[in-house]
Amino acid sequence: MYLIEKSNVMKLAEELAKSYELYGPVTDKETGQVFFSRVDNASEISLSAELPALPPKSVVFPQIERIMKYKYDRDAKKAEIEADYDKSSKAIFGMRPCDLTGLIVLDRFFLGQEFVDEVYREHRKRMFIVSNTCVVPFKQCFCVCTDSGPAADEGYDLNLTEIGDMYLVEAGSEKGKALAEKLGLKAAGDEYVALKKEVVDKSISLFEKVATDNKAWISRVMNRVTTGFIKEEVWEYIGKQCFECGACTFVCPTCSCFNVEDHNRFDGSTDRLRTWDSCSFEGYTKMAGDHNPRHPVEDRRNKRFFCKLSYSQSKKYLRPGCVGCGRCQWVCPGDIGLPNVVTYIRREITE
Amino acid sequence: MSEMDNKIITIPEIATIEEIKDEIQDVKTFYLKFDNPEVDKNFKIKSGQFVMLTIFGAGESAISLPPSPEDDRFHLSVRKVGKVTDALHALQVGDKVGIRGPFGNGFPFEEIKGKNLIYVAGGIGLIPLRSSIVHALQHRDEFGRIIVLLGARTPDDLMYQYNIEEWLKIPGFECYVTVDQPTEGWTGHTGFVNSLIEKANVPVENTVAFVCGPPVMFNSVIGDLMKRGMKDDCIISTLERHMKCGIGKCQHCAIGRTLVCTDGPVYTYKQIKTLGEEI
Repeated sequence: MYLIEKSNVMKLAEELAKSYELYGPVTDKETGQVFFSRVDNASEISLSAELPALPPKSVVFPQIERIMKYKYDRDAKKAEIEADYDKSSKAIFGMRPCDLTGLIVLDRFFLGQEFVDEVYREHRKRMFIVSNTCVVPFKQCFCVCTDSGPAADEGYDLNLTEIGDMYLVEAGSEKGKALAEKLGLKAAGDEYVALKKEVVDKSISLFEKVATDNKAWISRVMNRVTTGFIKEEVWEYIGKQCFECGACTFVCPTCSCFNVEDHNRFDGSTDRLRTWDSCSFEGYTKMAGDHNPRHPVEDRRNKRFFCKLSYSQSKKYLRPGCVGCGRCQWVCPGDIGLPNVVTYIRREITE
Repeated sequence: MSEMDNKIITIPEIATIEEIKDEIQDVKTFYLKFDNPEVDKNFKIKSGQFVMLTIFGAGESAISLPPSPEDDRFHLSVRKVGKVTDALHALQVGDKVGIRGPFGNGFPFEEIKGKNLIYVAGGIGLIPLRSSIVHALQHRDEFGRIIVLLGARTPDDLMYQYNIEEWLKIPGFECYVTVDQPTEGWTGHTGFVNSLIEKANVPVENTVAFVCGPPVMFNSVIGDLMKRGMKDDCIISTLERHMKCGIGKCQHCAIGRTLVCTDGPVYTYKQIKTLGEEI
């Protein structure tokens, strides 16, 4: 544990910018919206900004990404294939605990299963993560329901917690420790363990008053979703409200379905692109010959909630797929963000 | 599958089309050989697995493997049905394609030893079953009766007729064929493939049935087999889904709580019933 004055905290980001591509929450001057952006200068980052509109998922899993390029000369019968992985080193500064949990879920899914995803592994290999404890929740937060905040337990290189006019800096890795030592941060006394707990407890106590938009008590719902004892009418009701826009999946820190497409260039070469996809799109399961096993919208719609809330899917993530950031509720035009769906299902259970 | 773990599975290996055979309407068989001799030597498959086939300039598709794991030329039989397969059918001998794989669990070959094997195929449903049939016939002594029930729309839609003629020379191989719409000169059986179950006097005890075909045929065949007293965990099928990666990441092939690419494509009917989704 180390300490750094609030006025000096961005020195960490400046130091990281020397050897990493730096990403952090940036407030757009015109719209006031917050996004995770690549910054040239650490001063663009705002640690106190509200939860970014999009999670930093795109840093490790870009919306469109070339994973391979090839060229086939049909006359010469010559094919050349070249893998195209992102080998840059990236640092994410000021990531909120929910988004960090989302990243951990993606790690377990892409790296911890039978097959390892090479493309993802290259993104993650040289990454530096600085997380930021939420000392006050935001309006749409429900991470206390999903065990993913307001403070991060794991997955960071450095974790920042605002305590008074200081930031408590905890190192979660050798890499993190080395950076703190390099900057000569002064060591924090043992009393800071209790001080941090106080800050986190206070944050939790504020949820009732501040985080009023969403609540999602998911444990009983998880049981129902897993066992399948949810009436078809409930899914139909939810399906009817779905616009099939895919926004919920795009803003979700843990949604990782992708499509792969080959795009031909004018020079005769082809790019193999991997792009975000959404289980709510009608073409998602459509096979060659037009057979679509998941034609009705509710058949597709319930899959997302199955993915987030069922026990069998949680086995892959080693936790629920939902991290309580509230973004899906925020963007859904049909009012069926995850917290609302949980409410519908709970209502059915109580009835 | 552990040896696959460290392999780069995102990148296809290049293979050359050595021979093309016209099968039935819109279906061709492509005999392939890997350009890299090392890959060619080490390419081992299990019956029931599939590969991801890249057609340069068109894209990638999941294609089931018809060759036997032993002593069989590497080939793929593909129906022209979409963008990638259209492009494949336009290729000629000498053209290159990309192959990733093999992927999937495959048929439980060890577990079914000593049993009677029934293969029920509708149309091109015979393609994924061919691998297992050839493999079983290569080990003829290790099985009881080996019966193939084959249904097709017309006599011209019967897959692998030349193979069947070969197989019929092997003692104890039984094959029954039927068509829904007979053409002139057809002297064989007419009707749906389930009508052959009775005709072949399909055994039930110590028997495993492999069923593959369009969903309607699949459901009615399974219904008839169950009526005869066959247990749901003795009926095996291989499913197909839209796939993008083959390695359990893109999630397009999710069915119930499983992924067809890594948990399948081979399922018992007992498993299929618990998936809770349309086949």
